[in-house]
Amino acid sequence: MSFLKSFPPPGSAWTEAVLKGKGLGTGTLCTAESRLSWLDGSGLGFSLEYPTISLHEVSRDLNAYPREHLHVMVNAKFGEESKESVAEEEEDSDDDVEPIAEFRFVPSDKSALEAMFTAMCECQALHPDPEDEDSDDYDGEEYDVEAHAEGQATLERLEGMLSQSVSSQYNMAGVRTEDSIRDYEDGMEVDTTPTVAGQFEDADVDH
Amino acid sequence: MDPRNPNDLSICGTLHSVDQYLNIKLTDISVTDPEKYPHMLSVKNCFIRGSVVHYVQLPADEVDTQLLQDAARKEASQQKQ
Repeated sequence: MSFLKSFPPPGSAWTEAVLKGKGLGTGTLCTAESRLSWLDGSGLGFSLEYPTISLHEVSRDLNAYPREHLHVMVNAKFGEESKESVAEEEEDSDDDVEPIAEFRFVPSDKSALEAMFTAMCECQALHPDPEDEDSDDYDGEEYDVEAHAEGQATLERLEGMLSQSVSSQYNMAGVRTEDSIRDYEDGMEVDTTPTVAGQFEDADVDH
Repeated sequence: MDPRNPNDLSICGTLHSVDQYLNIKLTDISVTDPEKYPHMLSVKNCFIRGSVVHYVQLPADEVDTQLLQDAARKEASQQKQ
Protein backbone atom coordinates (compact mmCIF):
# COMPACT_ATOMS: atom_id res chain seq x y z
CA MET A 1 0.00 0.00 0.00
CA SER A 2 2.59 2.52 -0.99
CA PHE A 3 1.50 5.93 -2.05
CA LEU A 4 3.09 6.47 -5.41
CA LYS A 5 4.68 9.77 -6.15
CA SER A 6 6.06 9.57 -9.58
CA PHE A 7 8.17 12.29 -11.05
CA PRO A 8 8.18 12.04 -14.77
CA PRO A 9 9.34 15.43 -15.94
CA PRO A 10 6.61 17.41 -17.66
CA GLY A 11 5.93 16.95 -21.32
CA SER A 12 7.76 14.26 -23.18
CA ALA A 13 10.92 14.59 -21.11
CA TRP A 14 12.58 11.64 -19.42
CA THR A 15 15.15 10.92 -16.75
CA GLU A 16 18.40 9.32 -17.74
CA ALA A 17 19.99 6.96 -15.24
CA VAL A 18 23.75 6.76 -15.05
CA LEU A 19 25.70 4.22 -13.04
CA LYS A 20 29.46 4.62 -12.67
CA GLY A 21 29.56 6.93 -15.59
CA LYS A 22 27.71 4.53 -17.83
CA GLY A 23 24.36 5.59 -19.15
CA LEU A 24 21.55 3.13 -18.66
CA GLY A 25 19.15 4.90 -20.95
CA THR A 26 16.27 7.23 -20.45
CA GLY A 27 13.23 6.34 -18.45
CA THR A 28 11.07 7.31 -15.52
CA LEU A 29 12.24 7.81 -11.97
CA CYS A 30 9.63 6.90 -9.40
CA THR A 31 10.02 8.16 -5.83
CA ALA A 32 7.61 5.86 -4.06
CA GLU A 33 7.33 5.68 -0.30
CA SER A 34 8.41 2.04 -0.38
CA ARG A 35 11.41 2.33 -2.66
CA LEU A 36 13.05 4.37 -5.37
CA SER A 37 12.70 2.86 -8.80
CA TRP A 38 13.64 3.64 -12.33
CA LEU A 39 12.14 2.10 -15.44
CA ASP A 40 13.21 2.59 -18.99
CA GLY A 41 10.81 2.65 -21.89
CA SER A 42 11.03 -1.10 -22.49
CA GLY A 43 10.09 -2.13 -18.96
CA LEU A 44 13.60 -2.82 -17.73
CA GLY A 45 14.66 -1.09 -14.59
CA PHE A 46 15.82 -1.35 -11.02
CA SER A 47 14.80 -0.26 -7.58
CA LEU A 48 16.70 1.02 -4.60
CA GLU A 49 15.74 0.48 -0.98
CA TYR A 50 15.91 3.67 1.05
CA PRO A 51 17.95 2.16 3.90
CA THR A 52 20.69 1.50 1.36
CA ILE A 53 20.74 5.08 0.13
CA SER A 54 23.39 6.82 2.16
CA LEU A 55 23.31 10.20 0.48
CA HIS A 56 21.40 12.10 -2.13
CA GLU A 57 21.80 15.59 -3.44
CA VAL A 58 21.11 17.85 -6.35
CA SER A 59 24.33 18.37 -8.21
CA ARG A 60 24.48 21.66 -10.07
CA ASP A 61 28.23 21.76 -10.46
CA LEU A 62 28.76 21.54 -14.19
CA ASN A 63 32.48 21.03 -13.66
CA ALA A 64 31.74 17.79 -11.84
CA TYR A 65 29.17 16.59 -14.34
CA PRO A 66 28.01 18.39 -17.45
CA ARG A 67 24.33 18.31 -16.57
CA GLU A 68 22.39 19.07 -13.41
CA HIS A 69 21.17 15.88 -11.85
CA LEU A 70 20.17 13.99 -8.73
CA HIS A 71 23.21 12.27 -7.31
CA VAL A 72 22.51 9.20 -5.19
CA MET A 73 25.01 7.09 -3.29
CA VAL A 74 23.93 3.57 -2.45
CA ASN A 75 25.47 0.95 -0.18
CA ALA A 76 24.96 -1.91 -2.54
CA LYS A 77 26.67 -3.70 -5.33
CA PHE A 78 25.32 -3.53 -8.82
CA GLY A 79 26.68 -6.05 -11.26
CA GLU A 80 28.35 -4.69 -14.33
CA GLU A 81 27.68 -6.31 -17.63
CA SER A 82 31.16 -5.93 -18.99
CA LYS A 83 34.02 -7.83 -17.44
CA GLU A 84 36.32 -4.86 -17.74
CA SER A 85 34.39 -2.71 -15.35
CA VAL A 86 34.06 -5.57 -12.87
CA ALA A 87 37.84 -5.94 -12.80
CA GLU A 88 38.15 -2.20 -12.40
CA GLU A 89 35.82 -2.27 -9.45
CA GLU A 90 37.77 -5.04 -7.74
CA GLU A 91 41.00 -3.16 -8.13
CA ASP A 92 39.65 -0.08 -6.45
CA SER A 93 37.78 -1.62 -3.58
CA ASP A 94 39.04 -3.51 -0.57
CA ASP A 95 37.33 -6.63 0.64
CA ASP A 96 36.48 -5.07 3.97
CA VAL A 97 34.90 -1.97 2.52
CA GLU A 98 31.18 -1.92 1.95
CA PRO A 99 30.23 -1.73 -1.70
CA ILE A 100 29.07 1.63 -2.80
CA ALA A 101 27.44 2.65 -6.05
CA GLU A 102 26.82 6.10 -7.36
CA PHE A 103 23.80 6.79 -9.48
CA ARG A 104 23.01 9.94 -11.36
CA PHE A 105 19.47 10.64 -12.40
CA VAL A 106 19.53 13.29 -15.05
CA PRO A 107 16.13 14.74 -15.86
CA SER A 108 15.77 16.43 -19.17
CA ASP A 109 13.82 19.09 -17.25
CA LYS A 110 16.08 20.26 -14.44
CA SER A 111 13.30 22.16 -12.72
CA ALA A 112 12.10 18.80 -11.41
CA LEU A 113 15.27 18.34 -9.37
CA GLU A 114 14.15 20.15 -6.23
CA ALA A 115 10.97 18.12 -6.08
CA MET A 116 12.92 14.91 -6.62
CA PHE A 117 15.30 15.84 -3.83
CA THR A 118 12.53 16.75 -1.41
CA ALA A 119 10.56 13.61 -2.17
CA MET A 120 13.58 11.48 -1.43
CA CYS A 121 14.19 13.29 1.86
CA GLU A 122 10.62 12.59 2.93
CA CYS A 123 10.82 8.96 1.93
CA GLN A 124 14.13 8.51 3.73
CA ALA A 125 12.48 9.70 6.92
CA LEU A 126 9.95 6.90 6.49
CA HIS A 127 12.67 4.26 6.61
CA PRO A 128 14.75 4.68 9.73
CA ASP A 129 16.99 1.88 10.84
CA PRO A 130 15.13 -0.53 13.13
CA GLU A 131 18.03 -0.47 15.59
CA ASP A 132 17.40 3.14 16.52
CA GLU A 133 14.69 2.46 19.04
CA ASP A 134 15.79 4.81 21.75
CA SER A 135 15.57 7.95 19.70
CA ASP A 136 11.95 8.74 20.38
CA ASP A 137 12.50 11.37 23.00
CA TYR A 138 12.22 13.94 20.25
CA ASP A 139 8.96 15.07 18.77
CA GLY A 140 9.98 14.01 15.30
CA GLU A 141 10.09 17.40 13.72
CA GLU A 142 13.10 18.34 11.73
CA TYR A 143 15.19 20.76 13.70
CA ASP A 144 16.14 23.60 11.42
CA VAL A 145 19.20 25.27 12.82
CA GLU A 146 18.44 28.33 10.75
CA ALA A 147 15.15 28.86 12.58
CA HIS A 148 16.75 31.40 14.81
CA ALA A 149 13.73 32.30 16.90
CA GLU A 150 13.22 28.82 18.24
CA GLY A 151 16.93 28.21 18.54
CA GLN A 152 17.42 31.42 20.43
CA ALA A 153 14.62 30.58 22.84
CA THR A 154 16.11 27.16 23.45
CA LEU A 155 19.55 28.65 23.92
CA GLU A 156 18.28 31.21 26.41
CA ARG A 157 16.45 28.55 28.37
CA LEU A 158 19.50 26.31 28.49
CA GLU A 159 21.77 29.16 29.45
CA GLY A 160 19.37 30.03 32.21
CA MET A 161 19.61 26.50 33.50
CA LEU A 162 23.37 26.72 33.39
CA SER A 163 23.53 29.94 35.35
CA GLN A 164 21.15 28.50 37.94
CA SER A 165 23.33 25.45 38.28
CA VAL A 166 26.47 27.51 38.70
CA SER A 167 25.02 29.95 41.22
CA SER A 168 23.58 27.20 43.39
CA GLN A 169 27.06 25.77 43.85
CA TYR A 170 28.32 28.96 45.41
CA ASN A 171 25.29 29.42 47.59
CA MET A 172 25.61 25.98 49.06
CA ALA A 173 29.35 26.20 49.46
CA GLY A 174 28.96 29.35 51.52
CA VAL A 175 26.84 27.58 54.11
CA ARG A 176 28.90 25.10 56.06
CA THR A 177 26.38 22.64 57.39
CA GLU A 178 26.67 18.89 57.87
CA ASP A 179 24.37 18.33 54.90
CA SER A 180 26.41 20.44 52.54
CA ILE A 181 29.58 18.62 53.50
CA ARG A 182 28.00 15.30 52.53
CA ASP A 183 26.69 16.72 49.29
CA TYR A 184 30.19 17.58 48.19
CA GLU A 185 31.85 14.29 48.84
CA ASP A 186 31.85 13.65 45.12
CA GLY A 187 34.98 15.69 44.83
CA MET A 188 33.73 19.10 43.80
CA GLU A 189 35.98 21.94 44.71
CA VAL A 190 34.90 23.46 47.97
CA ASP A 191 36.48 25.99 50.27
CA THR A 192 37.72 23.84 53.15
CA THR A 193 38.48 26.55 55.66
CA PRO A 194 35.78 26.71 58.33
CA THR A 195 33.62 29.75 57.99
CA VAL A 196 32.11 29.41 61.39
CA ALA A 197 34.50 30.15 64.21
CA GLY A 198 35.00 27.28 66.61
CA GLN A 199 33.30 24.79 64.30
CA PHE A 200 35.77 22.01 65.02
CA GLU A 201 36.59 22.80 68.61
CA ASP A 202 34.77 19.73 69.86
CA ALA A 203 36.69 17.38 67.60
CA ASP A 204 38.92 14.76 69.25
CA VAL A 205 42.52 15.79 69.36
CA ASP A 206 44.15 12.42 68.82
CA HIS A 207 42.17 11.04 65.89
CA MET B 1 30.61 20.35 10.29
CA ASP B 2 32.08 17.22 8.89
CA PRO B 3 29.96 14.07 8.91
CA ARG B 4 32.11 11.13 8.10
CA ASN B 5 30.39 8.39 6.15
CA PRO B 6 31.54 4.81 5.90
CA ASN B 7 33.91 4.00 3.07
CA ASP B 8 35.94 6.90 4.41
CA LEU B 9 33.96 9.54 2.61
CA SER B 10 34.29 12.81 4.48
CA ILE B 11 32.00 15.64 3.69
CA CYS B 12 32.39 19.13 5.00
CA GLY B 13 29.56 21.59 4.98
CA THR B 14 27.20 23.87 6.83
CA LEU B 15 24.55 22.23 8.97
CA HIS B 16 21.13 23.08 7.65
CA SER B 17 18.93 20.76 9.65
CA VAL B 18 18.73 17.45 11.42
CA ASP B 19 15.83 15.16 12.25
CA GLN B 20 15.10 12.63 14.93
CA TYR B 21 16.99 9.90 13.09
CA LEU B 22 19.99 12.18 12.79
CA ASN B 23 19.50 12.42 9.07
CA ILE B 24 21.50 15.49 8.17
CA LYS B 25 21.05 18.15 5.57
CA LEU B 26 24.12 20.10 4.66
CA THR B 27 24.63 23.04 2.39
CA ASP B 28 27.71 24.38 0.65
CA ILE B 29 29.42 21.05 0.90
CA SER B 30 32.83 19.94 -0.21
CA VAL B 31 34.37 16.51 -0.24
CA THR B 32 37.51 16.20 1.84
CA ASP B 33 38.78 13.06 0.09
CA PRO B 34 39.10 14.19 -3.49
CA GLU B 35 41.38 11.28 -4.41
CA LYS B 36 38.69 8.75 -3.69
CA TYR B 37 35.83 10.80 -5.01
CA PRO B 38 37.33 13.03 -7.64
CA HIS B 39 34.36 15.30 -8.11
CA MET B 40 33.68 18.16 -5.78
CA LEU B 41 30.13 18.09 -4.59
CA SER B 42 29.57 21.81 -4.48
CA VAL B 43 25.85 21.58 -4.14
CA LYS B 44 23.16 23.57 -2.48
CA ASN B 45 21.55 20.81 -0.47
CA CYS B 46 22.81 17.39 0.47
CA PHE B 47 20.84 14.84 2.46
CA ILE B 48 22.80 12.25 4.42
CA ARG B 49 21.11 9.26 5.98
CA GLY B 50 21.79 9.30 9.70
CA SER B 51 22.49 5.59 9.94
CA VAL B 52 25.52 5.79 7.67
CA VAL B 53 27.25 8.55 9.55
CA HIS B 54 30.13 7.32 11.67
CA TYR B 55 31.41 10.60 13.04
CA VAL B 56 30.34 14.18 13.05
CA GLN B 57 33.18 16.56 13.57
CA LEU B 58 32.27 20.04 14.74
CA PRO B 59 34.68 22.97 14.92
CA ALA B 60 35.87 23.04 18.52
CA ASP B 61 35.57 26.75 18.88
CA GLU B 62 31.89 26.62 18.04
CA VAL B 63 30.99 24.14 20.74
CA ASP B 64 30.64 25.01 24.40
CA THR B 65 31.09 21.59 25.97
CA GLN B 66 30.36 22.81 29.48
CA LEU B 67 27.03 24.19 28.38
CA LEU B 68 26.29 21.00 26.50
CA GLN B 69 27.04 18.78 29.47
CA ASP B 70 24.94 20.77 31.90
CA ALA B 71 22.11 21.19 29.44
CA ALA B 72 22.04 17.49 28.67
CA ARG B 73 22.03 16.67 32.36
CA LYS B 74 19.18 19.07 33.03
CA GLU B 75 17.16 17.90 30.06
CA ALA B 76 17.59 14.27 31.04
CA SER B 77 16.47 14.92 34.60
CA GLN B 78 13.49 16.90 33.37
CA GLN B 79 12.41 14.12 31.05
CA LYS B 80 12.38 11.63 33.89
CA GLN B 81 9.78 13.67 35.76
